[in-house]
Amino acid sequence: MKVSISGLKKKSHGIRKTMMDMCIKAGTGHVTSSLSCIDILVALYHGCIMKHDPGNPEWEERDRFILSKGQASPALYTVLADAGYFDPEKLNRFAQKDGSFGVHLQHDVPGVEITSGSLGQGFGVAAGIALGAKMNRELYMVFTLLGDGECYEGSIWETAMFASHNRLNNLIAIIDRNYLCVTDFTENLIALEPMEDKWKAFGWDVLRINGHSMECIVDSLSTVRSRRSGKPLMIIADTVKGEGVDCISNNPIWHGLSPKGEDADMARICLERSCGNE
Amino acid sequence: MNNISQRDAFWNRVYEIARKDTDVVVVSADMGAPALDKFRRDMPSQFVNAGIAEQNAVTIAAGLCLAGKKVFVYAIAPFITLRCLEQIRVENAIMDIPITLVGVGAGFGYEDSGPTHHIIEDIAIMRSMPRIQINSITDSVMASAFADISCDLKTTNYVRLDRQVLPDLYNEGSDFSKGLSILRESDDCYIISTGSMTHTAVDIARHFGERNINIGVIDVYSIPVNGNALAEKIRNAKKLISLEEHFLPGGLGSAVCEVLNDRNIPVRVKRLGLSTDRNYCYKYGGREAIRSYYGVDMDSLKKEIAEYLSVGSLCGAR
Repeated sequence: MKVSISGLKKKSHGIRKTMMDMCIKAGTGHVTSSLSCIDILVALYHGCIMKHDPGNPEWEERDRFILSKGQASPALYTVLADAGYFDPEKLNRFAQKDGSFGVHLQHDVPGVEITSGSLGQGFGVAAGIALGAKMNRELYMVFTLLGDGECYEGSIWETAMFASHNRLNNLIAIIDRNYLCVTDFTENLIALEPMEDKWKAFGWDVLRINGHSMECIVDSLSTVRSRRSGKPLMIIADTVKGEGVDCISNNPIWHGLSPKGEDADMARICLERSCGNE
Repeated sequence: MNNISQRDAFWNRVYEIARKDTDVVVVSADMGAPALDKFRRDMPSQFVNAGIAEQNAVTIAAGLCLAGKKVFVYAIAPFITLRCLEQIRVENAIMDIPITLVGVGAGFGYEDSGPTHHIIEDIAIMRSMPRIQINSITDSVMASAFADISCDLKTTNYVRLDRQVLPDLYNEGSDFSKGLSILRESDDCYIISTGSMTHTAVDIARHFGERNINIGVIDVYSIPVNGNALAEKIRNAKKLISLEEHFLPGGLGSAVCEVLNDRNIPVRVKRLGLSTDRNYCYKYGGREAIRSYYGVDMDSLKKEIAEYLSVGSLCGAR
């Protein structure tokens, strides 16, 4: 099936808008962390990358997607609702009294594999599933998305060693490299670079891509099933925290927040403007 | 099985189970044991060495479980509980992914290793979370039985093994489904204990029994405590003693008091265990020497219990 890059871009814009509306209505949610990874999620779910069936979330042969950076749950919930995993009406009750899910990812939402929010853990679960798949001789792939700030957790590197040693070439990890953490840019805080060298040294194949170029994302992911390498694959996706909404992007002050009042109005205008610029 | 460690009894049985069930997987934090060496040799595809990385071991185990495996994760007790507590909380308690955490070295089992290797907080910490069953193993018969029980449990299960070879108190085929056993009957006074302290409790009861003071012994090995079974037994007791090689806050004694309080059973409990006032200790020279520092060695316990039972004149008798 031919993937339309322009269609995916359009889808990304729609997801951004829905996600932001959801968070603005709720008055909470990690909006900027979600905006930085929406293009990646759209490519995975709508770019014919992952085998999945919204009508059968428990399908045994599905590829698994583990969102290790659980604070980006608004992005995943919106993508899943759009794909048909659950009624999009539920998004209107995000983090509200009568709602069924909130700011951090929870495993009982259809299409969601794990609860996350405590960082550094989803990656290990993903590696465990990948190992289990190999033990069972099952062919599904395991995709996982990490935050770059999450790479400060020591357990990430425990898993990194483990996955390469066990030749988990069915494990595809993506780092949402938006360069921002909670209070500052990562390179001011404790430098994470050179990331490619680190992951190569830990025994991974590494790609570095523009995480907002749908062409690059799809290119990097579309061949993962036919890779001949025995190593797990790390895709470091350079992104912008708050991509698509200039007034809240690339600024640590917006970590973990949803814009309110005039800021919300401005954010909506910025989002429309960014779409018009494409 | 009198001369076999709980560790060997447990892993020998897991080996037998895994030979018949290829979904059984052991994730080891680089821990050795004769039975594990055999396991690795005979079933390499069911054995995963995670290295000395307990946090990763637990998340890998959770992932394996999601992929359909029955997973045992093994490390030294303080590290399979406290080092990876956050992982256990999220993967096992919150998400309810059932795995078996196996820790060796309950209490002062690593008697020569100092406080980093003692584990005297795990019952309090692990029982504070839902969906975690603690199985505080008493002897090798029970250890073997809990290898089977672990495979059938639908919840996460922390098997707390003693490191030392302790005599068997149970017979083969004993029923451990109630979570506690009455090892010695009494009309009005019981010691309620767990793990290695159950052996001490039996010795103390025998000591007082020889002096015509009948003290019963209840071995509580599964926590949360089976409150109804315990209440049924102790409802008419006049005096109760809890005994544990564990800090007092939140431990077995606390759990017993909760059972009584929640059922309006007005019996006083003398809680014997490790006082946090004594902090951690760098004491060596054997388990009894460490227990002596905390005042829970055999002589101190006999004295304290005799005073509690108002039979002080018998306290010093050996």
